[in-house]
Amino acid sequence: MAVQILLNVFLALVWMFLSNTFSGTGFIIGYLLGLLMLYMMRHMFKSRFYLHRVWAVIKLFFLFLKELWNANVDVVKHAMKPHITMSPAFFAYPTELTADWEITLLSNLITLTPGTIVVHVSDDGKTLYIHAIDLEDVDEAIDSIKNSFEKAIVEVTRT
Amino acid sequence: MKLNNVIMRTMTQMVFFIIFLFSIHIFLAGHFAPGGGFVGGLLMSCAIVLLLITFDLKTVQNLLPINYMVLTASGLALALLTACISAFAGEAFFTHYFDYFTLPLLGKTELHTAMLFDTGVYLVVVGVTMIIIQSIGGDE
Repeated sequence: MAVQILLNVFLALVWMFLSNTFSGTGFIIGYLLGLLMLYMMRHMFKSRFYLHRVWAVIKLFFLFLKELWNANVDVVKHAMKPHITMSPAFFAYPTELTADWEITLLSNLITLTPGTIVVHVSDDGKTLYIHAIDLEDVDEAIDSIKNSFEKAIVEVTRT
Repeated sequence: MKLNNVIMRTMTQMVFFIIFLFSIHIFLAGHFAPGGGFVGGLLMSCAIVLLLITFDLKTVQNLLPINYMVLTASGLALALLTACISAFAGEAFFTHYFDYFTLPLLGKTELHTAMLFDTGVYLVVVGVTMIIIQSIGGDE
């Protein structure tokens, strides 16, 4: 991915020298041309065309915003209730992510969406211990994290 | 025995794009400076030939899934249609039109129908060169 971005910037610079336009516009035009070329030749590189990854990052960001909104509404509902009806619990979440920064990112996303807090990562890095303020079904909670955040993170890091 | 041509492959991955970019520059410069569709097309096919030298015929077909016969035909069709615009408008065959437009990024630009004709030339040159080289090089 880094090679592709570097090549794209380099091509933009080459374009500036070729067309003698040393301005932001020249750079942008060169960058767009390079982007088009890289897209045409995307099978030449071992990793994916890098815009896919940029797009995956944007999707992950908006997924995070959506979940943050939903979860906060849930917590407000709990706080406004006259009686305490929630059932807090700890549960273990088996993760498939391996790299350190992926696990960190997943933990932060889980913690920032209220209702769930990561309290510990197991020593082998394969299990996250999560505290939930209102847990009805463990499998359902695991599935919902797996299908939203973990999938989106895998989408970003897949080569 | 297969030699490991890693240096060749890595350099090709960089150099191919520079030649490609230069061919587009030459192609666009054609109206006011030396260049145009013919040289641009030849440069582009040179870039593809560089790919052919580095990789083999089949890999390049996978990289650039282009049918060069279709490319040549569409280039000819584009050139013919450009020439026909004026005929439909009631003027002499091959009359060209131009006007000034303000485009985003590019600013004030002169757009000329000769550009479309040149695009046709570009496609035909790339197509024909690649057909010749592939039919000589490809051994069925």
